[in-house]
This record gives sequence, C-alpha cells and structure tokens, in this order.
Amino acid sequence: MLLVIIKKELKRVFTDRRLVFSSFILPALSIYLLYSLLGSMIGNLTNNIDEHIANVAIVNAPESFITYVDEYNKGMPSEESVGFTMNAGFSSEAIDSLKEKIKTGELDVLITFDKSFDEAVTNYEKEKHPNINTFFNPSEEYSQTAISGIEYNILADYQNQLLGERFGSVSALTAFTLNADNQDNRIAEEGKEAGLGMSFMIPMLLNVMLFAGAMGIGMDVIAGEKERGTMATMLLAPVDRETIAFGKVISLGIVATLSAMCTFGAVIASLPNASSFLAAGADVSLDSLAFTPTHYIMLLIILIMQVGIFVAVICLVSVIAKSVKEAGTYISPVYMLVMFSAFATVFTTGDVELYKYTIPVLGNVFAIKELLTFDLSLIEFGVTVGVSIVVIAILLKLITMAFNNERTMFNS
Amino acid sequence: MIKVTNFTKIYKLSKKQMNEYKVKSKEKIAANRINFEAKEGEIFGLLGPNGAGKTTILRSIATLLKPTEGTIEVMGFDVVNDSKEVRRRIGFLTNDLKMDSHFTPDYTFKFFGKLHSLEDHVIEERQKYLFNYFGIEGYANKKISELSTGMTQKLAIAVSLVHDPDVVIFDEPTNGLDIITAKAVTDYLQELKKQGKLIIVSTHIMAVAEKLCDRIAIIINGVKIIEGTIDEVVSDSDALSLEDAFFSLYRKHSKEVV
Repeated sequence: MLLVIIKKELKRVFTDRRLVFSSFILPALSIYLLYSLLGSMIGNLTNNIDEHIANVAIVNAPESFITYVDEYNKGMPSEESVGFTMNAGFSSEAIDSLKEKIKTGELDVLITFDKSFDEAVTNYEKEKHPNINTFFNPSEEYSQTAISGIEYNILADYQNQLLGERFGSVSALTAFTLNADNQDNRIAEEGKEAGLGMSFMIPMLLNVMLFAGAMGIGMDVIAGEKERGTMATMLLAPVDRETIAFGKVISLGIVATLSAMCTFGAVIASLPNASSFLAAGADVSLDSLAFTPTHYIMLLIILIMQVGIFVAVICLVSVIAKSVKEAGTYISPVYMLVMFSAFATVFTTGDVELYKYTIPVLGNVFAIKELLTFDLSLIEFGVTVGVSIVVIAILLKLITMAFNNERTMFNS
Repeated sequence: MIKVTNFTKIYKLSKKQMNEYKVKSKEKIAANRINFEAKEGEIFGLLGPNGAGKTTILRSIATLLKPTEGTIEVMGFDVVNDSKEVRRRIGFLTNDLKMDSHFTPDYTFKFFGKLHSLEDHVIEERQKYLFNYFGIEGYANKKISELSTGMTQKLAIAVSLVHDPDVVIFDEPTNGLDIITAKAVTDYLQELKKQGKLIIVSTHIMAVAEKLCDRIAIIINGVKIIEGTIDEVVSDSDALSLEDAFFSLYRKHSKEVV
C-alpha cells in the first residue's frame, strides 16, 4: 500500500511539466548560469587587474631611482615590464593635485621622495635617513594591487640595490634565498586540497538546495491536498494514516533528493568556471577529489539523514497548516534556521567539537564539511547519524499524531 | 447495520471560532446523545436544518471524526477501534469530496481501487460498470481539470463506490448537483437499495427525503427529535405532510438550549 501512495505522489510531480520545470530544471539551470557567469566575471576581473598598467606619479624622483626603474624594466619579461608607467618629473607643489587624481582613480599610486634623496643616502652617517612616502586609494582595485607591487617589489629591491652600492656587493646583504629552486612548496594528500577547497561552500550549498528542493513541492503534497479537499478522500480509504503519512514523506524525500542532485550536478558542471569563488580558487573537480567508496557511502548516508529531517519538518508543518499559504508562513523561519546552520559552517575553522555533531541539521553540515577534508572520524559520523535517526523518528511520530488528530486534519 | 448509541460529539472552539459563532463557551455540542439504527436494504435519512449536526453524525460513521461519547458500530465494527474495517465496508459520498484535478478519471479510479486492495480485474469491472452508469467512459482519459462540475461530481461518486461497499453514506446527495446528475444519483441509490445495501443520507430538502427514505430521523440543534417512517413522523406530529411536521417540530425545539 505504501508503494501505491509513493507511486501516486511521484506521478503527481513528474507528470506536471510546470512542477518538473520549476523544481528540477529551473534551479539547476539558474545555478549553472549564475555560477558560470559569476566565475567568469571574477576571472575577468582578476585578469583585468593583472593586465592593468598602473599609472604611478613620482615627485622629486632621484637619479638613482630613475636609473633603477629603467634597469628594472629592461631586466623583466616584456609583459611584466609594462606593469607600471612611471611618470617622474613632478615637484612638491604638485602633490595636492596628484592626491586628488588618486581619489578620482586617474592615478593609481603616488611616490614622493625627500628632496636631495641621493645625497642623503650617500651621507647616511652624517644625515638623517631620507624618506619615501607612498599614497594609494584603497577603494580602487587597480590602486590596491599597484601599491603592493610598488612597495614589496620595486621599492624593496631598490633599497637592496642602494645598500649593495653602499657596501660594495648585494651578495653581502643576502643571507639566504627562499624557494629559489623549489617550484612547488605545496605538500598535501592527493585530493585533500581539492576537498578543502570544496568544504568552504559545498556543504552550505547542498543544505540550502536540499531544503529548497523539498520545500516547494512538500507544502503542496500535504497542505495543498488539505486545501483542495483531496486529503479527506484519501483518508476514507481503508489504509492506516501512518501509511499515508510515510508514503508522502518517502516520496517527498525522493523528489527532494532528485532536485538536489540536479542542482548539485549544475554546481559540479559550473566548477571549471566557478572555482574562484566556490572553492577558494582551489583546483576542484570530482576527479581531483580522492574519495574512496567508503567516503561516498558516508556522504550518501549523511545526505539521506539530512533529507529525512528536512522532509519530515516540512511535512509536519504542512500537516499543521490549513493551506499552502499558511504552510509557507510557518516554513519561512525554518528555512532561516537551515540557512543559518548552513552558513555557520562556512566561517568555521579548526577542529569541530564532538558535541556539535549532536545538534540536528548543523551536525550533518559539519559532518559533510569534515568529510570533504577527510577529517570525519567514525565516532563523529556515528553521532551525527544516530542523532538524525532519533530526530527523524520523533518527527515521524509527530506527523502520525497530526494525521490522527481530527482537529488538525479537519480544522473547519 | 449501523448502530448509533448515545453518540455525542463536542467540538473545542478556537477564539476565532468563538467570535465567529458569537458564543462564550469554548465548546460546541454538535451532537447530543443520538441513538438510532439503520438496516440493510433501507434508505435511512437524517433530516434537519443546516448546522443541526447531520454532517457530524455521518462523518463520525465514516470514521473521519471520533465520538466524544457513545459508540457507533458499522456492520458490527466499532468506528474507533476497527476504523479500517469500517472504511472497507462503507462508501462515503459528499459534495465536499474532491479529486486531484491533475489526474485522469481512469487513473483516479484505479488508484482508489488499489487503496482498497482490489485485484486489477475487479477494478476494471467496477470501472466499466460505474463509468458506464454515470456516463463517464468518454472522459476517462481526460484530465479532471477539463471535466464539467457535474462530471467531476459523478466521478467522485463512482470513486467512492469503487469497492462496492455494503454501506453507502451520502451527505446531502443532491446538493449542488445539476438536475441530470441529481436524477442519476437518486436512481442509483434506489438501485443500491434493491441490491440490499444500507444507505444513510442527510438532507434538508423534504422532497428528497420523501422520495428516497424509508425511515428518517429529524435532528435539530444536535438532538434527535423524532424517528420513524415518513408516515409515522407525520402522524406523530399531527401534521398533514412531512414539511408541516418538520416546521412544527422545528418551531417547538429550535430554541431549546442544547
């Protein structure tokens, strides 16, 4: 009998083209297009910044610096040598107008040297050390990127060159080099790096998608039937109300899982373009994620538990509500809680304490996150699954009680 | 046989409902110590004005509501303790009964047949008979949303009778039906009676009661006022017709506090 009800519920969903489009195709398509678009926009932005030739104005530029910049440009590969356009030849009187240009974005960086800079450098034993001031606009991407290049590459190297001239050799000032013959200093278990990248956003996305997938159809499955009056017709059949309730919960679980799979598939498909913001720029794909079959089974079990909780909550709310609209009102705060749980894990770092796995929903999100970084222990897995089973059992009991409550089922 | 003994149903009212009904009590007695019996091969009618408690009684017989006090037995099964057995034996028809408009009559009928654990060939036979009787066969594969109101009502009746129940409960059998559908329904109820089924109907239309019912019980404000054949009710009320009898009883009892 359970199968008859499940089949009917699934037929209700999968023969309704509008429902199929809005629950499966539209979310997946939207996610794919949105993520691909965002990924390529972020990529374009990064490339654009990299390719930008920073406009740098120099006030009181000393001869030594002009010579240094010429040498610097000659020594760099052509594409990097055009990173800065140095405009020397400004005097101290121009500083205020140049600062205004930085504010408006016309100029990226302003460097001001003390007057008689070279003399002061030479007479360092008798005079105060000369000073260089730099100015940039933190609200401009180009300016922000240019200042770090100027300070950490150009000016630091320029100082080393001056010191080399002072002491006769640059080598005398170099105690060691860093990673000069080391092309790749990243050491991680194969696939774990990809997992870390995915663990930032994927648990959050999976949870939000699972809940959203179940929410739309879930409210219609029970509250919609009550509203349309078709629930009473079903309750007149010689079938236990528990069976009707379980049939609806299971079918909704199947629908929610399929909806989430479609959306998750869209996320995976968009990864080549969207890894810059979905996985903190890590190289992510299912191939690079070195999951064993055990990991996949654990992930599947955790997801089933999460779907179970979501679907049971939605069904319970729908049974209590008199109409789809009322169910929607009740479900909104629940959705907020799910969102909060999902987002809470994005900003969590370090080890997850065992007690956190006992918190329904949140524990499952943590478990997915830890699983992706290969840090989920069997005890933690057991705790989160155990808690979920207990929560689902309680929710199912409440749904059954609600189905047997005539005041709930026939409120009018 | 349906045996209703000391049946009482009390609804708990929400604040909203208290305001709606303009009452101070948190409880509403919908049926108060109702007793009656209905037997196979007869059409038993519950007659009363709107809000008298007829639908509450029928819904309780159909196991949708539980008695607050008293018992109801259908073919020897208690509606609370053996509700599934009761539902196997009854067909509950009401104009509130709705079908999912997304499905076809064919699928809907088969689905309810399966819910009643009927064999496929039995469902096929019942579908052929009932669809033919109510003139639905030409619409079997259209979506219910595309059917007329009358056709949808006839489908609801056919679906309720998919399992050929021994007891047919019909809440306001002709309410909201067009004249042709109403005729088809009343004719079918007579046909069921001939087959030895027990039929219990509620109505507030005297003509329906006179045409259909072998025996009636008049319910006013949740209380059974009188029970018997139509002739008995008319003569016991010193009236000339059922309508006169009803209004005479209604005037006498409608202001009594329940």
